[in-house]
Amino acid sequence: MTKPVELPRHLRKISHVFVDESMQDSTVARRVRDRLNGTTHEGIPWTVVSADTDRVEFDEGDAQALYLKEYKGKFLRFCPGTRAYHCCGYRIIHIGENCPMACSYCILQAYFQDEILKIWANQDTLFKELADGFGADPNTRYRVGTGEFTDSLALEHLTGYSHDLVGFLNDYDNVVLELKSKVVDLSWMQAATRTDRVLPAWSLNAPFVNEHEEFDVSTLKERLEAARTCAEAGFRVCLHFDPVIHYPGWREGYAEIIDMIFDYVKPENIAYMSIGSFRCMPQLTNIIADNFPETNYIYNEFVPGLDGKARLLRPLRVEQFSFMIDRLRSHGMDKQLYFCMESTEVWNEVFGYSPKDFGGLGKRLMAQAFGE
Amino acid sequence: MQLSKEIITVSADSIHDTGSHLFWTGPADESLTDSINEFGQAAPVLAREADNGFELIAGHARLSTLRQLNQPVLVRLVLDADERDMGLLYLADNAQRPLDDGMRLAALRYFQTLMNEKELKSDILPRLGIKPKSKDAKLLFSWLDMPGNWLAHLATGNVPLAAVTPIKRMSDTDRLTVEPLFAGFSWSRSNAVNLLTWLFETSKMTEAPIADVMQQAGMAEIMKQGLSPKDTIARLCTAAKAARYPELSILQDRFNKAAGEIAAGTKWRVVQPNNFETGGAELTIQVKDAAQLKKAVEDLETMTGISRWKDIWELGGKND
Repeated sequence: MTKPVELPRHLRKISHVFVDESMQDSTVARRVRDRLNGTTHEGIPWTVVSADTDRVEFDEGDAQALYLKEYKGKFLRFCPGTRAYHCCGYRIIHIGENCPMACSYCILQAYFQDEILKIWANQDTLFKELADGFGADPNTRYRVGTGEFTDSLALEHLTGYSHDLVGFLNDYDNVVLELKSKVVDLSWMQAATRTDRVLPAWSLNAPFVNEHEEFDVSTLKERLEAARTCAEAGFRVCLHFDPVIHYPGWREGYAEIIDMIFDYVKPENIAYMSIGSFRCMPQLTNIIADNFPETNYIYNEFVPGLDGKARLLRPLRVEQFSFMIDRLRSHGMDKQLYFCMESTEVWNEVFGYSPKDFGGLGKRLMAQAFGE
Repeated sequence: MQLSKEIITVSADSIHDTGSHLFWTGPADESLTDSINEFGQAAPVLAREADNGFELIAGHARLSTLRQLNQPVLVRLVLDADERDMGLLYLADNAQRPLDDGMRLAALRYFQTLMNEKELKSDILPRLGIKPKSKDAKLLFSWLDMPGNWLAHLATGNVPLAAVTPIKRMSDTDRLTVEPLFAGFSWSRSNAVNLLTWLFETSKMTEAPIADVMQQAGMAEIMKQGLSPKDTIARLCTAAKAARYPELSILQDRFNKAAGEIAAGTKWRVVQPNNFETGGAELTIQVKDAAQLKKAVEDLETMTGISRWKDIWELGGKND
């Protein structure tokens, strides 16, 4: 008898699958069923959710449920940036909600206070909406990503969602898709017919933060090895330092990971790189304190920002940003660098210019994404 | 449980009044003595028969007063009452008393051994004027397992109900460290919660016990200065906030000094509006007539020439 295969570590807490009645025969549902076969999770229960069910309840401690749902809302959305800070202006393709990994700083803890990992299984509806949007005017360019309300690749091993999306977008020359993740799953590469319209992206952080605040994720080395694999295959990658955490020893920690990046990829392999300081809606602080009692960076000098979110005091942010930008510049990075949700003051203090000096952040990143 | 229809007269000394269901007992006030002297005992106390006399169920102040006056006591007997019934009767008999948080907690603590949490919420809280799903209900429940010294501070009104949240996040050692702050002063809700939160969070951030945080902040010295309670509390809060937000406090202090010099002798108010998230300052003034407006404009004109503005422009920025 063949020994059942283990699922990737970050998927092992999945102990139940819910599927909407209307989605039982969907591509995603069939694929999840197939991919669970022969694994240690082959026998987990499946529950069909009837159309008149208001809400799926699942509360079994740490265990997680995968819910293959027929989504009725809009799939293509704007990033929920605020006016007080410069937003990168990318568009979100909404493929699901929640994440199987556990990072202490993650905003999804506040958004989704359950252990249900939702995937929108009605891909045909999603693709129809995207075709209507992207196909309306081939001269309108889109920089899109799926990593806003979930991790782009966390469930890829079971759902193959990004593989399908990459395949679908092959026909749209005016769209660049960013796949942002903290795990390594490169199966989507098989679906890509061109390397200049997909931007695989990984979040990075100081090794201390990775070890103490991120759980069930790939190591920094694994992420950078994956970035190198993508670069060698001809893709450009994106790297994101978000959130940057202010902790004792942050200089050494961020210097180490910044130096490490260039052991794996060259500056020209990087389409763009964001840096964002830890910020959160005030209620997230208590959630973090409850979920991660050992975490103490939340007790740093956070003050209410212009958007109402708690932000590290500006001089402390500027000090960290300046250190990191200087280090990145010493490795040859420059125009690819940008801040996620920062003020004109901070841009000017660190970079010496602000987005309005180069026509806006969204415009610059669009050009970077399309390789101009 | 049942109440007898007859009222009997017994000697005060035959009634025992030490039951734990008498959770709000205190010294009787003079007006009750005056009333009994003038009219006699208007309402009977409630008691049940015990092995060697009677056990008081409700009417402690009346019994104490009558005992002091060496008068017999009118008693209405309660039959087949258990601990829960006695507590409920005591509550009902005292329904008109104004309640504070210490009294509410004392009642809850009595009933918590006699019923489950659901019953406590649905049956007892409303009798104490608390909605079962309210924030105060949650806070009261948090207080249930607090040590006795803290319960005493709540009863005296020195520590507010809401302080339990930051207190419960602390270790036993840290709780012992902060407890003396509440021994002699009556703290408002916001001051207590802020101070305790700042101390706890600083301790977490610096990975040091709260005793070290308080020592570094000079809080023991503040306590020894012999200031008024109001001034002591204000200084303790300022010290705790400076420990929690050291960089912000330094910036704020420098801003205040510069702003004070700039606006000296005028009615202009110069403040930093957003915790230095942007640079600059916000200026406000209230004027009631044309003369005041003219003076405000002249003052503003004078203020623009003061060199201290440069410090404000650069405060918190890269060139600071």
